[in-house]
Amino acid sequence: MTSLDFALIGHPESWRAAADVLAFLRGPELTPLPDDEVRDILPWIPPRTVCHVDAGSPIAGATARGLYIDSFIPPDRLEAANLRENIARVRAAAASAIHSGAKIVSLGGFSSILIEGNFDQLPERRDTVFTTGNTLTVAFIVQGIRKMCALEGRNLRNETLLIVGATGDVGSGCARCLAPLVKRVLICARNVERLRRLAAELQADGVQVEVATDVEQFSAEAGIVICAASMASPALLLGGLAPHAIVCDAGYPKNLSPGADMPGARVFFGGLGQITGGLRFAPDLRGILNRHPFPNVVHGCLLEGIALALEGRFEPFSQGRGSITPERVAEIESIAARHGIYLAPLYNAQGPVEAGRESGRLACSRRGVSPGGGSCQQQG
Amino acid sequence: MEAAVDFAQSPTECTTISLSAPIWQDVLAQAMTGELLAAMNYTSLSEVCDDPAEVAEALEHAQNERGHAAAFAAEGRRIGVNVASNVDAKHWKRLRGAFLGCIAERDFIGCLIVQEIMLESFAVASYSRVGKVAPGSLGETFARIAAEEEEHIEHALAFLRTERARDAQRFDDKLHRLHLEVMTILAQMLAKECKDGHCEVCQTSCVKPSLFEVRLSAAELRGASLQQYLKTLDMLGIPGEVSLSWVAQLPV
Ligand SMILES: NC(=O)C1=CN([C@@H]2O[C@H](COP(=O)(O)OP(=O)(O)OC[C@H]3O[C@@H](n4cnc5c(N)ncnc54)[C@H](OP(=O)(O)O)[C@@H]3O)[C@@H](O)[C@H]2O)C=CC1
Ligand SMILES: [Fe+2]
Ligand SMILES: [Fe+2]
Repeated sequence: MTSLDFALIGHPESWRAAADVLAFLRGPELTPLPDDEVRDILPWIPPRTVCHVDAGSPIAGATARGLYIDSFIPPDRLEAANLRENIARVRAAAASAIHSGAKIVSLGGFSSILIEGNFDQLPERRDTVFTTGNTLTVAFIVQGIRKMCALEGRNLRNETLLIVGATGDVGSGCARCLAPLVKRVLICARNVERLRRLAAELQADGVQVEVATDVEQFSAEAGIVICAASMASPALLLGGLAPHAIVCDAGYPKNLSPGADMPGARVFFGGLGQITGGLRFAPDLRGILNRHPFPNVVHGCLLEGIALALEGRFEPFSQGRGSITPERVAEIESIAARHGIYLAPLYNAQGPVEAGRESGRLACSRRGVSPGGGSCQQQG
Repeated sequence: MEAAVDFAQSPTECTTISLSAPIWQDVLAQAMTGELLAAMNYTSLSEVCDDPAEVAEALEHAQNERGHAAAFAAEGRRIGVNVASNVDAKHWKRLRGAFLGCIAERDFIGCLIVQEIMLESFAVASYSRVGKVAPGSLGETFARIAAEEEEHIEHALAFLRTERARDAQRFDDKLHRLHLEVMTILAQMLAKECKDGHCEVCQTSCVKPSLFEVRLSAAELRGASLQQYLKTLDMLGIPGEVSLSWVAQLPV
């Protein structure tokens, strides 16, 4: 067993993504599997390593060695109805990470949702720690909002912020970071009790908060929307959204339905970071596993494990549910920045959102954290 | 075909079985063919073993596989169908050919890989699925034999792991070569539809499109077999990314 610094556990974000990975593994000589065969075969693949991933840091040329492990939860089986089977998959992926000797493991997207951030549900281990990676995700969502506001010439102080999935780990972290910076906060989820608890917490800090279980009740009022609901498929419509609203879709898989009608809205995919020291995949699944229009872009949850590995901090930085604070966000932000990990250039389904406004991909991604400091500082 | 049925079965079970008897007949024929082929393979293996204990073990193993074949034939009789095997059917014949290639080279390890890792993975997975849906004693027999085959795999795995520890590179090269040969044939045999003509085991037309009538499907049997194979390779210590790309490259 060779020792590894990190492992990243993910799941296919869509059938297309899964098909592309299998097509790559088949190689150029074989025709890609037809879509119906991918749907028939994928659910039977046991969780396993898909590739090796090495991450570079600008600090003294440090590198961290890791693996990407896929739980192969079929993209159409993320719903609660398949909870038991999906938890078994997360556990098997975790067992594989432990067996590989990884010192820190990031539980990407639904991997941490399924076990509710409770690492006691994972197999026994000695020298491996886990993190949900959600603190760095929150950092990038918040940075993205600030950047988009800057691009649009908007002042957060005057904005009403709507968070869908606000009581979740990511959503509540975003609420804690952004509530003090905006005029008013609208929080939405299905469970009203949890909404009330979060509202009380925010109100205690003097924030003006309203709760609703029906997002349509709020969408017309919000100038900024963060979508951080654990939706099994992109089904969120945000009907009646205010024109020119800024919308951050941070879901993995995405929250927003492709059919969402949001005329004039400025949409971007949030929670993504870019690692300037570069990633090397073996086999070279670059751009196939991380499907973004910019190089070296990865979900914040996965990047948190890489950042901690590069820093040599093998600890369960993010765990449990609902305990992400602005202080912890600032801390992981500075760890990440030390290793050249910054907010990724913003983009959405149509492509980069900053085209023509800024040039230089890395330059603009660095700007995500530098002027105005980290994501949780007051806007000047 | 009207099937005579065992009166020990419950009335509902009788109706279910008599309606689906032609399907079970083909499922049993495939299973029985696999068992007879396994018996032939172990007999051949006994001829290249040097150690008398190994010879005895291979012969005993062959005998067990014949026992399984007989159990499947008996299940056929219980539901009133004649189960006809055909070890010369096209896919099975090629599988036997691959095994005989290892015998010709007196490659004991190769023989175990083909029979225990590849063919038995397929048997364990498909019998287990059938065992879950087949009614009464038919289901019990499939489940029981699946459990017995799984024991064979475990026994062989312990031996093969030791062998791999000696020289992993050499072992993995051999495994990959045999994977390309044997798993390609198995994948063609397990394809969702038989695109290249009759399998020469099913009685009339291919049973695959009718499997849904007994709550099975060709896709499920293939999926379960590939899953079992991947898990077996994991237990051997083959890196997950390696076995994943091997399986991804199989024909469909
Ligand atoms: N971009 C990135 O890098 C990352 C993205 N993520 C993604 O962020 C999202 C949230 O993750 P996380 O906070 O860990 O999840 P949690 O399970 O902690 O929280 C989910 C939240 O969504 C709410 N919710 C679920 N379904 C709905 C619905 N249909 N409508 C409204 N609200 C809903 C839940 O509340 P209730 O049950 O009461 O409705 C809860 O508030 C997921 O998609 C996850 O994959 C996670 C990590 C990184
Ligand atoms: Fe057998
Ligand atoms: Fe056997």
